[in-house]
Amino acid sequence: MKRLPEITDKVKRNLIWKSIFRRDYRNNVRDRAQAIFGNVFLHLHPVQVRESAVKLRFTWGMGGITFFAFITLVITGVVLMFYYHPTIDQAYTDIKDLEFQVPFGVILRNLHRWGAHFMVIVVMIHMFRVFMTGSYKAPRQFNWGIGVFLLVLTFLLSFTGYLTPWDQLGFWAITVGTNMGAATPLLGYQGPFSEYLHITPYNDVRFALLGGAQVGGNALLRSYIWHCVAIPLISIILMFVHFWRVRKDGGISKPQK
Amino acid sequence: MANENKNNSSYKVYVFVFFSAVLLALSLWVVWDDEFGLRPWKKYQEEFKTMKHDQLEKDYRKAVVEFQRSGGHKRLAELEAQLAKAETSFQSGGTQEKYKQLTKQFDDLHAQSAINQKELQNARGLFLETEYYFTKTQKPEYKVKMDELQRQIDAITLRGNALQKKEEVLKNSISAITSGKAHLEAEIERMKSGLEDLKEKIANNNKVAVEIKQIHIKDIDKADRCQTCHIGIDGKRQVSLLQPFARHPASFVYLDHHDPTKFGCTFCHRGQGRATTSTEKAHGNVKHWDEPLLAGDMTQTSCLNCHGDIKGLRGAEEIVNSTELLKKYGCYSCHKIPGYETMGDVGPVLTEVGTKVNYSWAVKWLLDPKLYFSTARMPKFFFTQDQAESIADYLFSMSGTTRHDVDYSKETPNAKLVEQGKALWSQARCNLCHTTGGRGGNHVKVYAPDLSKVGSKVNKEWLFRWLKNPNAYFPGTKMPRFRFTDEDIKSLVEYITSEYKDDEAEPKYVQPVEIQVASIKKGKDLVQKYGCYGCHKLQGMEEMVQIAPSLKSQGVSFLRGDEMREKIGTELSSIGSKPLEMLDFGKLKKSIPNDRLSYIKQKLRDPRGYRLGLRMPDFRLAESEINELAAVLYGFTDSNVPVRFMVPSRQELDRMAGVQSYKFTGDFAKVIADVKCTNCHSIRGIGADYAPDLSYAGSKLQEGWIRNFLANPDVIRPLLQQMPKLGLTSGKPAAKITMPRFNLGQQKVEDTNRTDVDVVINFFQQELVSNDIPKKIPVITTMTMPEQISKGKNLYDEKGCKSCHQIGTEGGALGPNLSNVGNRLNPGFIFKHLENARKFKPDIVEPDYGFTERERIYLTNFLMTLKLNTK
Amino acid sequence: MNPFIEIITQPDNIAIVIMIIMVTFFMVWAFQQAFQNDRLLAAGLPVDGEKDKFVDTFKPLVRIELIIAIVVMVGLTVWSIAVDAPLEEIANPTITPNPAKAPWYFLGLQELLVYFDPWLAGVVLPSLIVVGLLAIPYIDINPKGNGYYTFSERKYAIMIFSFGFFVLWLLLIVIGVFFRGPGWLWYWPWQEWDHARVVFEPTKDLTSLIGVDSRSLPGFIIGALVVGSYLVGGMIAPYRYWKKNNPELLAKLGIVRYVTIIFLFITMMSIPIKMVLRLVFLIKYIWITPWFNV
Repeated sequence: MKRLPEITDKVKRNLIWKSIFRRDYRNNVRDRAQAIFGNVFLHLHPVQVRESAVKLRFTWGMGGITFFAFITLVITGVVLMFYYHPTIDQAYTDIKDLEFQVPFGVILRNLHRWGAHFMVIVVMIHMFRVFMTGSYKAPRQFNWGIGVFLLVLTFLLSFTGYLTPWDQLGFWAITVGTNMGAATPLLGYQGPFSEYLHITPYNDVRFALLGGAQVGGNALLRSYIWHCVAIPLISIILMFVHFWRVRKDGGISKPQK
Repeated sequence: MANENKNNSSYKVYVFVFFSAVLLALSLWVVWDDEFGLRPWKKYQEEFKTMKHDQLEKDYRKAVVEFQRSGGHKRLAELEAQLAKAETSFQSGGTQEKYKQLTKQFDDLHAQSAINQKELQNARGLFLETEYYFTKTQKPEYKVKMDELQRQIDAITLRGNALQKKEEVLKNSISAITSGKAHLEAEIERMKSGLEDLKEKIANNNKVAVEIKQIHIKDIDKADRCQTCHIGIDGKRQVSLLQPFARHPASFVYLDHHDPTKFGCTFCHRGQGRATTSTEKAHGNVKHWDEPLLAGDMTQTSCLNCHGDIKGLRGAEEIVNSTELLKKYGCYSCHKIPGYETMGDVGPVLTEVGTKVNYSWAVKWLLDPKLYFSTARMPKFFFTQDQAESIADYLFSMSGTTRHDVDYSKETPNAKLVEQGKALWSQARCNLCHTTGGRGGNHVKVYAPDLSKVGSKVNKEWLFRWLKNPNAYFPGTKMPRFRFTDEDIKSLVEYITSEYKDDEAEPKYVQPVEIQVASIKKGKDLVQKYGCYGCHKLQGMEEMVQIAPSLKSQGVSFLRGDEMREKIGTELSSIGSKPLEMLDFGKLKKSIPNDRLSYIKQKLRDPRGYRLGLRMPDFRLAESEINELAAVLYGFTDSNVPVRFMVPSRQELDRMAGVQSYKFTGDFAKVIADVKCTNCHSIRGIGADYAPDLSYAGSKLQEGWIRNFLANPDVIRPLLQQMPKLGLTSGKPAAKITMPRFNLGQQKVEDTNRTDVDVVINFFQQELVSNDIPKKIPVITTMTMPEQISKGKNLYDEKGCKSCHQIGTEGGALGPNLSNVGNRLNPGFIFKHLENARKFKPDIVEPDYGFTERERIYLTNFLMTLKLNTK
Repeated sequence: MNPFIEIITQPDNIAIVIMIIMVTFFMVWAFQQAFQNDRLLAAGLPVDGEKDKFVDTFKPLVRIELIIAIVVMVGLTVWSIAVDAPLEEIANPTITPNPAKAPWYFLGLQELLVYFDPWLAGVVLPSLIVVGLLAIPYIDINPKGNGYYTFSERKYAIMIFSFGFFVLWLLLIVIGVFFRGPGWLWYWPWQEWDHARVVFEPTKDLTSLIGVDSRSLPGFIIGALVVGSYLVGGMIAPYRYWKKNNPELLAKLGIVRYVTIIFLFITMMSIPIKMVLRLVFLIKYIWITPWFNV
């Protein structure tokens, strides 16, 4: 035990250690600041924050939790992609195999599914909190707008992921959901005024969504690509804007009277 | 500020530590669960390995004991001693010296030839290089060098060959010295190897990996992992009778014909092939998996998936029996079932039923057929008295205007006629198909009504007409037309009506009563609603002018053909894979298990139980029949079996090949339609297997014998069918039955001048012949006939034919009696039959003796002498 | 009771249960803090957070973020161990489950289908929800209540938002998940689902109440008048009211903002109005046109 400081000292003087951490941490103002802006992940934060930001009762940590849920979903989702083919012949059996054969397949899929539900819930609560503290007011109006888009994207992420197992649950949920698209005024073949644009089931909004007049192989591929590539990309870009604007708009909102 | 932070945060450290610990614990649990909790098969495989290990160990110990008991160890010790001796003698003195010397010489030689070889390689390399430059530059100096090199190569090769020869010689002399030893060593090795093999097996078993084992059928991406737990299912040897370790039962039938690596398991057994995490999931007994496991005889239902013809299919006996039931009850009459579209009607034509039966009987029958006789096939429709009368009124109005009965119970029968009739009854073997009370009805595959109360059901006029020509009343009936004379028929009618009466019959309409028009209309609606026309023909009566103009004038109309065509029941073509959502459990949802099989069984048990307004009648099936029928229905699936697994039926094959299926033609077709030979006999795949196959009767049987036999079947008929079944094939042992006497030969076939016997004989000789069966047998000119016959007789005795065949009263009863074979069979048939009995009757028990052609000629000639003189 | 347990323990529905618990918890917490601040405001004291000092981000904030991350991970892991993600039969276009439900977060919209035609419930209203949410910062000109929980200073904003969020969004979701069975009929959680159940509701259109065929020209005109007067009246009435009682507010809002607010508000209120009409008066359509029905 006595030799512990010696050992730590040795480790800290090691070239590898030094190459990673650059300098020792001494718990003074300078080093605490350095810890934040010297770290690519932490430098999202300002060096100093207001006390409210550290207390749970003001923000509930909901924004952060949403982001954390998103990261969890990205990680589990990427691993799941290794075991999945977006074709109607293989999709269902791939999910079955996740349960029956893939190492840690069960926990992976469960984490992904429940993480998705969880993210939808917390993102809604996050919006509720921001409204209740009036944090959308000047100067944060634009960031609220970004948030609204992120909320919608979260719904869409979950929605597109629903179809991927290719089971009855997802199939009919997507069928019901996309049937609404067919009722779009002007652009859906069941919607009002669509006959003036010569809209049929084969050229309307729903066709564009599904890549067909019914949910089928194309719809599966489309939902897969939206789910795994397009929407995450858009979300990530918007998230960065969102976080950036939180900083630029003065961090966590404070009482302004 | 820093201090403040510290104080503030101390509890957070505990929170952090606590949750980190929880997360770590959870992660460990997840790892454990994934390794063991979700992979229960590991335990099974380990257990199996242990059991197999024990079994092999036991084998090994047994083999060791056996080895010692048979003196193996002594012999081994002896050999080893000899070996040791050879070793010492080899080590000692001159031999050893010589051996060393020779070995040294050999090594030297070998080194030399190695050097030589190297030189050769170098020379060849140089040669190739030079050749390259020469071809490139065409300079003559290269050519010179090439020739030089070629000479070198030749010289080295020669030297090498010489060395090789020397080596060979040396080798031989060395092995001559050691040969005794080598021989001994080989012998010891051989003795030990049996035991070594066993040991190796044990070692191999220990090396078997514990892993998911699956059969993957690539093109349809089917993965059956059943063997992951059922590890011994296709093993050569039973390791344990316990599940999941047992071998597949009757694997020589099932697995040998369906290579598991090509078919997998779930095509036949259903269940969830991919599942490995629990028995329930793997066996598909879970929510959201529609195909629970099939086990035991129930699995045979899957034969229907691929096999178009299951008749006679080995291993499918249960399901074959069950399909008979489906035919018996005529399920296809109301339900669309693939493969049964062309089956005939199960019920008789009812268009003129008013001229046949008593009204009182009809009403009673409609109320509950089983009250009339317990084996009645017609189901109970739960009609009220009123409804039954309406239907009877509708049916009777098709041939008249009254409700009417006849009552013979008061009449005194003509005793002489009754006596004659009784004799005819037994001659015609009516009881073969018809039961009377508990008697008769052996031919189970032909459904014929019980006649014990028929005297109170039908009237004499109709019975007379019926017996005279059944086809006239009911085209397509299975009842043959016996060639009775009118007197015969009269006596039979008298006998039947006086002998078989219903004491409980209550004829209420001996005085006919006019039928009410309103009742007819009600009856019409009922007939349509319950689809009586599914089983009974009711057509042809749209025009009723001749029958009852009075009814027509009152606005009565009968169902037209186009009003009766539809099958009123649910289509059953894929009932066995129908999704649960589509099965309506109605009010029984809570009281019976919600699975497909339970649904089908309950429907058969209580057809109208699920909810009000269902129309299916109650067949009052026995529980065993319910199980059998359910098994068949369960096999009607729309499962996507790859085409390569399909075994089409003969009909389908014929259709695909563009071949017309076999059909009877000409006058013989008329005879068949009349006498219904195919009720019992099978001819070219048509008909039943109750009596001998007649496909090649023309080649087989002699004309004279056929004539005699048809004229008088019960006299000359050999005792073929009296052979005891010995349990070699499934099914009931046949009782002593003989062919009915149809009185053929007494009448001319319509539109021709020939008698029916002539037509039959002609057809047999023209059509039912095989080119494989010669008309005559080869003649041996070098030997007289009596010599040949006596040689044949000797052969007959030598080969022990008589242990199965009887001649006179001598011999066994397993094979046909041969006392009269010379009159019955053609020599060509006997000759061919002796060559390959199975060619004509694949399931015959006769062994193959491998007779030479000459021997067959002797035997045939001998057998042809066996004749009974009956005139 | 059994059907109830069966419904709430369905894997996907556990998420709804968790949502109800979380939303209720945070709703209570939010309003509790709002009322607390209101009391401080009434007493003229600074609200929570007003006197905030700055603290270093490292480590207090980083630490709490780490702890939250671990707690959330623990929660998700426990959830994932305890409940397996559902996987039903392979997709089969020929078998329509009854009821066929959308993913749970869209069940509010699916519930609206009972009251509105799909083009409204599925397209127009959701679009307006998004538009409305986007518009909030620009139409809420109340400068108070920025950066702290309060109720008294922004009563109307909070009431309207809460109504939309809790009633029209979350409550409809809960109804869609737990109270809708085969045929989208209403089932209490303790009731057994009966697939054969038939409920006949003799619905009619508004104009047929006064004896005019809704598909006739007079019916069309009356329907148009009713819808039009709702829209126009809804626009004018608050204007008149505020003109009289609070002209400064009106001036501050300006005409564009005023029209936007009122349009969004009356659209939102049309949902409960239509629900009452449909459920209580069995009215299906108010206005029938050759192109669409309202």
